[in-house]
Amino acid sequence: MENAWFAVIALMYLKYSVMADAAPICSYGQATCHVPSLADLFDRVIQQSSRMHGISTDLHSEFDHYLPSKNFIGKQRCHTYAILTPDDKEKAQRLGREQLTEVILRLLMAWGDPLSQLHWSMSQDQNQDFNQYRSNKALEISDIVRELKDGVIKVAERMKRLGLNGNFVSYISPENVDPFSAISFYKRGELNSVDHQDLLYCFRRDSHKVKTYLRILKCSTFPTLDC
Amino acid sequence: DKPKLTSCRSPEKETFTCWWQPGHDGGLPTTYALYYLKDNSDTIYECPDYHTAGENSCFFNKNDTSVWVNYNITVVATNALGSNFSDPEDVDVAYIVQPHTPENVTVNVMEDKGWPFLRVSWESPHKADIRSGWITLIYELRVKLEGEEEWEEHHAGQQKMFNIFSIRSGSTYLVQVRCKPDHGFWSEWSSTTYVKVPEYFFRERSLWILVMIFSSFTLIILLWIVHMNSHSLKHCLLPPVPGPKIKGFDQQIFKNGRSDEILSALMVPNFPPTKSSNYEDLLVEYLEVYVSEEQELILEESKDSCLKSDSSTCDSDSGRGSCDSHTLLTDKCGEAKRERRASGEDSGMTIESQKGWEEEALSYTQEDVATPDVSSRRVKTWPSVFSTVPQYTTSPLDQKTSLELSKQHCLSDTLFPPGSSTKEVLGPNYWEFDLSNKQSHLPQPQTHGSQQLQAHSDVNISYTGNKQVPALLQLPGFKSTEYVEVQKVNQEDMVILQPVESDNCGRDEECPHVLQGEDYSKVKGVGSDNLLLLQSGVKARMGDEMEANGVSESCYTSSSFATTQKHIDSMHSATIPGQEEPIRATTGYVDTTTMFTLPMY
Repeated sequence: MENAWFAVIALMYLKYSVMADAAPICSYGQATCHVPSLADLFDRVIQQSSRMHGISTDLHSEFDHYLPSKNFIGKQRCHTYAILTPDDKEKAQRLGREQLTEVILRLLMAWGDPLSQLHWSMSQDQNQDFNQYRSNKALEISDIVRELKDGVIKVAERMKRLGLNGNFVSYISPENVDPFSAISFYKRGELNSVDHQDLLYCFRRDSHKVKTYLRILKCSTFPTLDC
Repeated sequence: DKPKLTSCRSPEKETFTCWWQPGHDGGLPTTYALYYLKDNSDTIYECPDYHTAGENSCFFNKNDTSVWVNYNITVVATNALGSNFSDPEDVDVAYIVQPHTPENVTVNVMEDKGWPFLRVSWESPHKADIRSGWITLIYELRVKLEGEEEWEEHHAGQQKMFNIFSIRSGSTYLVQVRCKPDHGFWSEWSSTTYVKVPEYFFRERSLWILVMIFSSFTLIILLWIVHMNSHSLKHCLLPPVPGPKIKGFDQQIFKNGRSDEILSALMVPNFPPTKSSNYEDLLVEYLEVYVSEEQELILEESKDSCLKSDSSTCDSDSGRGSCDSHTLLTDKCGEAKRERRASGEDSGMTIESQKGWEEEALSYTQEDVATPDVSSRRVKTWPSVFSTVPQYTTSPLDQKTSLELSKQHCLSDTLFPPGSSTKEVLGPNYWEFDLSNKQSHLPQPQTHGSQQLQAHSDVNISYTGNKQVPALLQLPGFKSTEYVEVQKVNQEDMVILQPVESDNCGRDEECPHVLQGEDYSKVKGVGSDNLLLLQSGVKARMGDEMEANGVSESCYTSSSFATTQKHIDSMHSATIPGQEEPIRATTGYVDTTTMFTLPMY
């Protein structure tokens, strides 16, 4: 009995330590520890955003495949419409690093909860045929979004430390106070598969934005050969 | 008819173009207009530019292009009859990016440790702004040999350079590159770049060196194999043609080509026995030899062993082939066997035959041509015979004796060491003969004729093997000489002979008259001390020599008398060096072997 408790405590400790620091190994600053550079951080983050966008595209195309493609006509919007995002290259470049970072973070934070809801809703779905796959994907996406958010915060902080992000405010008040309001944007009540499709459509777009903004951010900070 | 929006594309995510397909317009002039809604707003906009992108297109420039905005586009066709609306389409610029082809594709041939490779490098399409990160492109290239069908594709990721290894020197390659944004459409393949890889002699040379080394090894091995088997190979490829070397026969006659001479040379009274249908006349007499019971075991009788005897089936003109009659032989053999077993009869017969032999021998010596007589006597032959080969060398044979020569059999020679040309053909069979003590006439080791058949010694030679000897004497093909090899001396003072397996001696073939000389000796005669004088086989060259003298080769009997080791009490082994000499002068060496004296049964 005591062993079990001990194990639980150890696990909780580990979990929190992991959450606190992305590289727990390095938390004590050992010499052998490799502290990633900003460029490395950027690469990691960009990879993750790419992956996120890829999965979202897959999921969306799944819905499109099985359900008649729904014309996004009407008054429907994505719940993140309030977040002003540059829809142009010039506009994005004019924004500046801090604001761009902020936009990214806002987007990521806005999607955390709705994606969890999506996953939960999918797993509840009666139709087991392809839902298992989708529900797993949704879960994966929500995880990635969360990690990506953390990563971007780290990047921003590092940039700030390096003097690149002068005015960056790491704490961003969430746009949506009510976590459920985001979902309510798509439907009141339970989400069904049609709602899933709308949600995914919005998410796909936003993930693409995030990916693009991150690249712009990186290339403006590190004009390397990759850019 | 409704127009239809076919596609919209953006080359760099900053502008885009939409194309539509006009519907069936009924021949009337129709105007088209494109209207769009942006992102669920209610404002309807019309296409700003119908011309830049060509016919039936609408070009949205930078100012009008917003990314991540949903365009709801409709095309309207208007003519005199009315308007027709296309189905609205939703377009988001972010997802319709199809870049231009990569530019400045250059291919260089480079070398890596002597091996060439291609380095392909290119640039992104100039419109696509990847510098700022607005667009991320990934590249793909493909290569193929000139003239080939299949392209070899390579994924290059985001890099703008790629190395292609495993290329052939001396060939021309075609290279193409294309690109795609990480989520979008592939561009067209760039225009082909040709690159010719020069010959890389260094690489080729090392290959040639390898090839040459390998082939030289193979050659050496082959030569060695051939060398090892040269002898058998020679036999295989160039089987020794049994040159009919007929004693006393001058081949020159043939060469001269005068038919009458030839005929006369070949002609022997009563031969060919065209008149006489009694082929038996031609046949060699079979000497019946008595074999003791013990030796019967040794004696191998095969059907083949029987000499050919009558070749009534033989054609006079044909070679031996038709002569041989296996069945006949069998019959004869059977008879022979039967007779053999009847010792009583045998002895009698033997004696008789011996006598007859003697007569013949004498006759031979006296006449050069005595063949027919000899042949008239039928002798039972045993397959293997140990025959002493008389010495020939000395006297050049008459042409008349050519017949004998042609008939030569080893046997006859041995039995009638004639010395001169009488190489009789006593049938190709070898028979056992008793050399009895009592009658040991020592054959003078000499060449000419006085040799009697010292077959009266008591040596019993039993042959063990048997080889079929074609009995018939036909003109050219005498084979018949079977060579007997003394296999061993058994307990009973018996010389056990074994016919030499001569390769060519088959039923239907001619035995080569020449044998590997060394191993064989002819029994030249029986010495006074019951010595068997052997004359080692004259080799082919000797035969040639002899031919020159008109002496054809005789059969060589093989005496593998290494059995000198065998000592039998009653045997005397001796050498007759003294007597050898004269022999040597003429022909080869004589091996002496142990001679046993056996009681005559």
